[in-house]
Amino acid sequence: MSLSRVGVYVCHCGTNIAANVDVARLAEFARSLPGAVLARDYPYMCSDRGQALIREDVSEQALDRVVVAACSPRMHEPTFRDAVRQAGLNPYMVEMANIREQCAWVHDDRARATEKATRLVASAVARAVLLEPLEERQVDVEPGVVVIGGGIAGLAATLTVAEAGYSAYLVERSGSLGGRVRELDRTYPTLDKVQVVLRELVSRVAAHPNVTILLRSSVTSVDGCVGDFTVEVKTRGANLGEGVDASRDSQTLVVGSVIVATGFDPFDPRRKPELGYGQYPSVITTLELEQRLAAGDLGDNGAAPRRVAFLQCVGSRDVQVGNPYCSRVCCMVVAKQARQLRGLMPDAEITVYYSDVRTFGKGAEEFYDETRAQGVLYRRASVSEIVRSQNRVRLVGEDTLLSRAIGVEVDLVVLATGMEAGADSASLSAMLRLQRSPDGFFLEAHPKLRPVDTATAGVYLAGCCQGPKGIADTIAHAKAAASSALIPLLRGSVQADAATAIVNPALCANCGLCVEECPYGAPALDPFRGVATVNALLCQGCGACAVVCPAKAISLQHATACQVLAQVDALMA
Amino acid sequence: MSECQFDPTIIAFLCNWCTYTGADLAGTSRIQYPPNVRIIRLMCSGSVDPTYVLKALLDGADGVLIGGCHPGDCHYESGNYKARRRIIALKEILQAAGYDEDRIWVRWISASEGQRFADTVTQMTQAMRDKGPNPLRREWEV
Amino acid sequence: MRTQPLVEQMELMGCIQCGRCTGGCPLARKTALNIRSLIYDMLVAPEMDVHAHQELWDCTCCFTCVERCPKDVRPAELIIALRGEMVESGRIPETVGAALMGVFRQGNPSGIAREDRSAWVGDGPQPKAAQEGCELLYFVGCSPSYDPRLQTVPRTLARVFSQAGTDFGTLGTEENCCGSEVQRMGEAGLFEMLVEENGELIRRTGASRLVTTSPHCYTALKNEYALGKVEVLHYTQLLADLLAHGQLAFDREVPRIVTYHDPCFLGKHNQIYEEPRAVLNAIPGLQLVEMDRNRERSLCCEGGGGRMWAEGTNPEERLSAQRVEEAAATGADVLAVACPFCLLTLEDAVKVAGLEDQLRVMDVAELVADALDLPVTNQIGAPLARSTGPEREC
Repeated sequence: MSLSRVGVYVCHCGTNIAANVDVARLAEFARSLPGAVLARDYPYMCSDRGQALIREDVSEQALDRVVVAACSPRMHEPTFRDAVRQAGLNPYMVEMANIREQCAWVHDDRARATEKATRLVASAVARAVLLEPLEERQVDVEPGVVVIGGGIAGLAATLTVAEAGYSAYLVERSGSLGGRVRELDRTYPTLDKVQVVLRELVSRVAAHPNVTILLRSSVTSVDGCVGDFTVEVKTRGANLGEGVDASRDSQTLVVGSVIVATGFDPFDPRRKPELGYGQYPSVITTLELEQRLAAGDLGDNGAAPRRVAFLQCVGSRDVQVGNPYCSRVCCMVVAKQARQLRGLMPDAEITVYYSDVRTFGKGAEEFYDETRAQGVLYRRASVSEIVRSQNRVRLVGEDTLLSRAIGVEVDLVVLATGMEAGADSASLSAMLRLQRSPDGFFLEAHPKLRPVDTATAGVYLAGCCQGPKGIADTIAHAKAAASSALIPLLRGSVQADAATAIVNPALCANCGLCVEECPYGAPALDPFRGVATVNALLCQGCGACAVVCPAKAISLQHATACQVLAQVDALMA
Repeated sequence: MSECQFDPTIIAFLCNWCTYTGADLAGTSRIQYPPNVRIIRLMCSGSVDPTYVLKALLDGADGVLIGGCHPGDCHYESGNYKARRRIIALKEILQAAGYDEDRIWVRWISASEGQRFADTVTQMTQAMRDKGPNPLRREWEV
Repeated sequence: MRTQPLVEQMELMGCIQCGRCTGGCPLARKTALNIRSLIYDMLVAPEMDVHAHQELWDCTCCFTCVERCPKDVRPAELIIALRGEMVESGRIPETVGAALMGVFRQGNPSGIAREDRSAWVGDGPQPKAAQEGCELLYFVGCSPSYDPRLQTVPRTLARVFSQAGTDFGTLGTEENCCGSEVQRMGEAGLFEMLVEENGELIRRTGASRLVTTSPHCYTALKNEYALGKVEVLHYTQLLADLLAHGQLAFDREVPRIVTYHDPCFLGKHNQIYEEPRAVLNAIPGLQLVEMDRNRERSLCCEGGGGRMWAEGTNPEERLSAQRVEEAAATGADVLAVACPFCLLTLEDAVKVAGLEDQLRVMDVAELVADALDLPVTNQIGAPLARSTGPEREC
């Protein structure tokens, strides 16, 4: 029998858990578990009152371990670690049983969900009994941020960091700042000149004393953890133009946070060969029209097109090209460009071919209304094909409201091409340990609660690298990312995960297998003592070394073989 | 279907970054799947010691699921490859000993694949149900 | 019939009614066929009278709709399923019934005697019986076996396979209809039977590769038969492979301007676009020009999906007529095809359009025969005088 004193807390999560799991029965069952000295159920364990309950019990009932049966530990483990820390326990003496995501929300059958929950609680208690206190390590936070990508997102994030009083290093691959936005003419829904907005932002960034701009530069490696990242940056050739010069071709930056703002790639409509892009000169993309509008030259040699067609959703909402998502900006870009053309060519016939119009956002639906009022026709027809017809092209499709075939000859076709994840996002995701959603964009830590965080602490997402966004949303996202990235910097120190590998020298045979297995070079053989040692600063806590060790001398703290096997036993009891 | 259906138990060792999070997403998306799976959270599939799998089987688990990040997406660079290598070796040994190695499944399920997690559990539960009880359970119960 | 079962089975709830299926459908432009609106009907109404939709027999299963659908709904497969409902009820066009019966009785949709299936050999050398074992099984197909116009194609191919030194054989009179068109006419039961019988026959030959004359046989055998380790090829793929490996070489100049028509069942169904072009480009003196609509944009000739045995609701306007106009506009003197159905429909259209002096329809195999100087040219005369064709824009 164990001498541990475990307190078990079953959360109702309002009715989220209680509706589908018999929380009272679960608490009653928990009381019977070896090591458990008390069990309670409570409406919201994460509330102040819930946490206070734990703190009171720790001191009054002399608990030495706590099990919380509630939501995913990915959600509230830090909350309960803080709670027991305040109660004077080591924060690693907490274990969670995930009875919300793994029981209540996925199993309709209340009896079976409850039965499964008892096993999960038994497993958590069995593991809790074997938990050991770990020594927490404080890491001083380096007072700087690296921002990868000098588009509108990177610029906005850089400026926010710099204005908060911290050093910002803006790393841009190309020779100039501004990214995709450099090619745009006017914003929606206000029709401002994009280049004026961009120029102001660039000059504020470039002039800021806290900002270092590294053009023609790429990040080649990122090591370390939140508070203490070592970022290698390689620069090609000499820097010209805006900003601070970096004369060396590679340099090491040590910073507390990293912001990824690497943007998107426009969809290449050659992947929809039926639309004839690249084959017919009169078929262009919205981006190309934007460039022509910005240059004030529609590229038609003065003969203004009499009939213009915009085609929505090219390369978006289309599983044939692997892009099931909506690119979010095309509907408004088209409404805006159609309006601009209407102004430039009052006599032209301008038609937008669509299957759904999505003009969300402040002022957007009103803008769409005004575009139609100014004589832009919206026709519910998704053009299936474009063919040559004399010196024009013909749109082939179906008007789905009339159930009638379309065969319209036009002078200019503008394809509303969507956004795709950047081609380099795969290599970047490996370097920064970022996850990607199936669409290829980087995955945020939580779609609602942590929209700019990633699974890697200290790394944040800004702008279209996380998913398609317009300029306004991109800047809001970038400022949010910068604010989050500033949190560790403002605190000055962060707690490093103490769950690192450790060697029992009495068992170690100095074989070196752990050294080979570790991708981070954390274990090393000590030539004097004849045993392996682990550099806790390098260890990332994956536990691969423990598996290969023949003597089981090296183990991953907080996930020892004893703890895992006890969980297996409890789950199978 | 017989009236008294065999109800298998599956132990799942899931990596924290991908498959465990994918399971969480199945939860937040309210995707229903059979309650036969019981999850143990580990930081990386590369830390799944083959002895954990053996222990689960000896304890009577009818199936063991190891879930990790997709190849190339491991949070620790190569832990999933390590897991695959180890589990293939374990399965070969079990097969050589005449044991049905298909009771052990290794699946790559990312943090965004809640549906895939639920589908995997559904398929595996059915597959283990079709196989019937783990014979090791009976032997050890004697 | 109740719509719910098919709505579920074909996952029609995925449809967003964008209209790219019907917009791209070559038949929708000339008949009442509108699969987009039919899907909507099925989504909103619990019952539908499938027999009120005779235009379902217009579909050529060209699969443009399947290629274009952004939500992967596969409208052509719904049409096949709806035809299946009609087949089930027994109320189908007479010609369709006759074709199905022909396959059932004689193993070919024309219902010609099984014993005559080897008639295509003519005075050429008798190919080896694949039943005795061979490396390469040549699956001739129904129309090329029986149709006098098409027989030159297998006759040429047999000679080419011999010349390239392959160990090939045929199933002779035991060869059955592959069932490709049977399946597309909605007769799933008969198709299943054919798959079983032919599959067994094919496996027994021990052949490691199977080559077909027709893209239709190719589609069925490759995608619907589950032949395991047997590699299924269309003859243009095999020829391209033989050329690439030096087992075949063309020495005779064929000074023609050729445009190539991509058959739907080779292109849209199987994304085979480059191999037939590689074969044509390997012919010395031959100049390949492209039509405006080529590869995945090729216009259907209207011969697939059972349409060789079903007139359709608008036989007056033929897509093949449009297609030969497009071919003529390139200035080519030969319209090359790689499918027996395309050969027949397009050749007809050339005659109807009175383009015989300007444009000749030839199978790729026939051009290959020219390039190899093979004596199988009962249809192929001397090269036509070069015509420049009308001036083209751009």
